[in-house]
Amino acid sequence: MLLLHKCNLVTIFLDILLCLGVVLTQATFSTWLSAKGIQPDLCFVLACVIGFISGEYKGLMVGLTVGLFQDLLAPGGIGLNMILKGLAGALAGITTHTISTITGPAVLLVTLALSLGTGLASLMVAYPVVDALVLFYGLSSVLLPQGLYNSILTLGIFWLTNKIGLSMGMGHLVRGR
Amino acid sequence: MSAGARRILGIIFILFLALLLFLPRQSQEWLSHVGGPIARILEIPLHFVASMQDSISEIWTHYIALQNVWEENRHLRQEIQRLQGEQNLLREKTIIGTQFQQLLAYQETAPMTTLPARIIGRNVSNWYRAIIINKGDRDGIHPEMGVITEAGVVGRVVRVNPTTAIVLLLSDPNVAITGMVQNSRDEGIIQGTPQGIIHMKYLPPLSPVQPGDPVVTSGLTGDFPRGLQIGRIQQITKADTDLFQLGEISPIVDFSKLEGVLVITSFQTSRPESSPESAIAPSP
Repeated sequence: MLLLHKCNLVTIFLDILLCLGVVLTQATFSTWLSAKGIQPDLCFVLACVIGFISGEYKGLMVGLTVGLFQDLLAPGGIGLNMILKGLAGALAGITTHTISTITGPAVLLVTLALSLGTGLASLMVAYPVVDALVLFYGLSSVLLPQGLYNSILTLGIFWLTNKIGLSMGMGHLVRGR
Repeated sequence: MSAGARRILGIIFILFLALLLFLPRQSQEWLSHVGGPIARILEIPLHFVASMQDSISEIWTHYIALQNVWEENRHLRQEIQRLQGEQNLLREKTIIGTQFQQLLAYQETAPMTTLPARIIGRNVSNWYRAIIINKGDRDGIHPEMGVITEAGVVGRVVRVNPTTAIVLLLSDPNVAITGMVQNSRDEGIIQGTPQGIIHMKYLPPLSPVQPGDPVVTSGLTGDFPRGLQIGRIQQITKADTDLFQLGEISPIVDFSKLEGVLVITSFQTSRPESSPESAIAPSP
């Protein structure tokens, strides 16, 4: 009840709609976005962008929600994407505390590191046997290309949001708090 | 967000994480109960978006992609565009119609009860090779049911929502079915790899399997009847230290071009023990 009193219900509703839209785009149009068989994880990108823009708590909440929606449409168990996307959103938000100015390279590096970390956790859960060969394949063929793709997308959206936010005089939105 | 609310949120997250880690089975049951109604809500826009996808694809192909040509000869191009649009629309409808007619014709003759379904979504992550179909729990779909086309085996249902289901493709490492080389009658396990290649494991070391040999389902597992096509042996490998031969299979079904599938809801098992001759004679 305390949470409900403090939070803006309209914002929560809009966040849920955003999560829903991103998951549906991922499920239906992801093949359009795929490059050489690698598709970006739009849910991860959303969690990170929200984390960078609005801080760790909103990053965590949006990550958890979008992760739950993704889990419901994925073959694995429910909870994995929730946790990973929630953590990614929260950690992206925490970096806005530690780095005074979030620059493009910082966004790129943090997102790449988070994508590799969450991807590695997904790989461990998704495949029944993870030996050196699978790990090498996962790193070289999926994790790195997906990480780069996710980072570039996150940077692009973050930059765009920054531009729009500043041009509309909403500086408070784009400084991490 | 106030400090109190943040603290509560943090505690809830840590508790949730602990629940998932220490009580995985119970938490999955609980999450399935919670996720059920959410999945039901999620399915409504998914069906809508999937139905819109064809129209958007049509607009993209016939309007945006051809915009440069339109500038060269406006009037002529408009006419050509309209005719091309109509022609492509009709061709697309014919192709889809033919595909579904083939599926339905196969459904009528196949020795099993099947349910036709349309593909409304694909992989939501790079780690699984999966499709989402527009039939679910309400249509009588259950986990572990086999999924096929008139050409051959596609995969297996792994999760069922009220009106949708998630099917893991045969090329995913989490799917394993029993198969049989049609000519030599040697059985093995058909399983995908992370790279998307399909392997036939545990082939006897002295088996005379050759590249090009057709592979069919053996009917040993409960989700596929005997004799459904899987693919053809592409390559056979056996190191001196290996106990078994390993076959690489090129699947008969092109997973990237699937639009409609049949879900096997029931079939009559026909094991070779009842008629030994059938095990010797190659199936037609």
